[in-house]
Amino acid sequence: MTPAVATASTQRRYVMGRVVSYALLILAVLMVLFPIYWMAITSLKLPREIYRVPSLWPKTFTLDNFEKLLADGSFLLAIRNSLIVSTVVTLISVTISSFAAYSMVRFRYRFRGVIGRLILFAYLTPGSLLFIPLSIVMAQLRLGNSLVGLVLVYLTFSLPLSTWLLQGYFRGVPRELEEQGMIDGLSRFGALIRIVLPLSAPGIAAVAIFTFTGAWNELLFALVLITSDSQRTAPLALNYLITSDVLPWGPLMAGAVISSVPLMVLYFVAQRFMVAGMTEGGVKG
Amino acid sequence: MAVSPARPISSRRLRAGWRTRLFAYLLVAPVVLLIVGLVAYPFLFAIWVSFTDMVVGSVGQFVGFKNFQYLAGTATFWSAIWNTVTIVLVSDVLKLGLGLGLALLVHQHLPGRGLFRSFLMLPWAMPAFVAFLTWRVLYQPIGGGFNLILTQTGIHNGIIDFLGQRSTAMASVIAASVWRGFPFWFVSILAALQSVPRELHEAAIVDGANTWQRFWNVTLPGIMPVIIVTTLLSSIWTANGFEHVWLLTAGGPSDATMVFPVLAYYGMQTQRIGEAAAVSVYMLPVLGILVIFATSLMMRREE
Repeated sequence: MTPAVATASTQRRYVMGRVVSYALLILAVLMVLFPIYWMAITSLKLPREIYRVPSLWPKTFTLDNFEKLLADGSFLLAIRNSLIVSTVVTLISVTISSFAAYSMVRFRYRFRGVIGRLILFAYLTPGSLLFIPLSIVMAQLRLGNSLVGLVLVYLTFSLPLSTWLLQGYFRGVPRELEEQGMIDGLSRFGALIRIVLPLSAPGIAAVAIFTFTGAWNELLFALVLITSDSQRTAPLALNYLITSDVLPWGPLMAGAVISSVPLMVLYFVAQRFMVAGMTEGGVKG
Repeated sequence: MAVSPARPISSRRLRAGWRTRLFAYLLVAPVVLLIVGLVAYPFLFAIWVSFTDMVVGSVGQFVGFKNFQYLAGTATFWSAIWNTVTIVLVSDVLKLGLGLGLALLVHQHLPGRGLFRSFLMLPWAMPAFVAFLTWRVLYQPIGGGFNLILTQTGIHNGIIDFLGQRSTAMASVIAASVWRGFPFWFVSILAALQSVPRELHEAAIVDGANTWQRFWNVTLPGIMPVIIVTTLLSSIWTANGFEHVWLLTAGGPSDATMVFPVLAYYGMQTQRIGEAAAVSVYMLPVLGILVIFATSLMMRREE
């Protein structure tokens, strides 16, 4: 075999490898995109194209489903409730978790290891175990069926997650910068607010997005805690659409689009931060 | 007693230490108090409740293992065990296969790899409730995307009621849950692949190792810690997952996809709180082991 032939055959194998790789990746991307595509077009189809003559590409596009979903205002109310709960949970979590994470990264004290372990345990403690006692506790506090109760309950998963992730980010801030700031007259707390937090801004943004989406996506706690229509969150409102007798797929998918597309765009834009948090902290999403 | 000259300094130091410590405790206190009140206390309370005959509106009496015995005598409970274990094991294997395979493909220096990564992450960015509602629509006998594709491509004639029959319900739930869950594996494994030192690969090439030997002896040991943590986390989340089953089948048909969290939820709905809590507590021994393993590994990785 001459060297030229050997190169040609390696070349051919290399090209084949590339072709197969791309083919497999494109297939995987199609499988990922198909459900998302189906959600989007179902929300834009007329009922006859959903049920009677189903089609891969709708002949007529319509916003009827969105109008139907939003007509009585109850879904908008649910979106509003979801926004309130998720925003409040995010604000509380990010604030007090950054204090806790800073304390655990910067200081050595007794119980620090215990607290670290407690936080990780809390993160991994199943919601399916907690929803029963929490619903009893919230009823006793007279916070059942209220958004305040929901906020408290969502702190059970958002606090451990934020604290755990923020510890990682704060470890990356050099201690010298803080000390310099304190020499320049900042207090400890001032150094945290003026130096550590701004330097960790990308991390804090990622944690805020994770916390927000965690609360936005939650279904089980809301299902158990919320009993009246006026307090429903978006997942709950859509859940009750499928438990009714007729399954209104069009409006349901319109609701799915409204509750997911903003988040998916956000992830697409901010994914550099998100990926780091996801791989280092273990974020379910 | 002789007063050492160092004393004033050391007492000032002590005071500073004391104030710093107080500051540290004050900073960590809100999170610790909320976690103790909202996670630790309810956790212990759930265990207590599982040993009582609590129903809605009554405190309940201690009844020993009665709830656990009662559950063990029902067929639904055994279905829940079997189904939970099946979903966890099968979807872990599939997610590992998909995640590892796709990560290896993207890890080659192909042009456009960033774009592929972004697209492959999308299911993770989709809220779980939206993902599973969408899959429910896809599985519909009439108007569902899968039946449409099967009939139009001629792969299968006639309608399959994916979620409505025992033979396909479980596989359908697993497929949807793999779709939503594999990106976490994919991204974690990809990050691990990128952290395997290039020199190790080069050294192996110099030693004459072929592609397979390099994968087996260099790549796999390098990414193993990440695979283990990912497996533990994913198993914990899948075993506790509620949405995938609730929104697709609600545990049906006739318990074919019943899992622990859905069973506990039904217990709550029938207002027999003691029994519902016992369902969750039954999962504790196995989950507890997984959680302890996962926390130790994650804490070690942190240091």
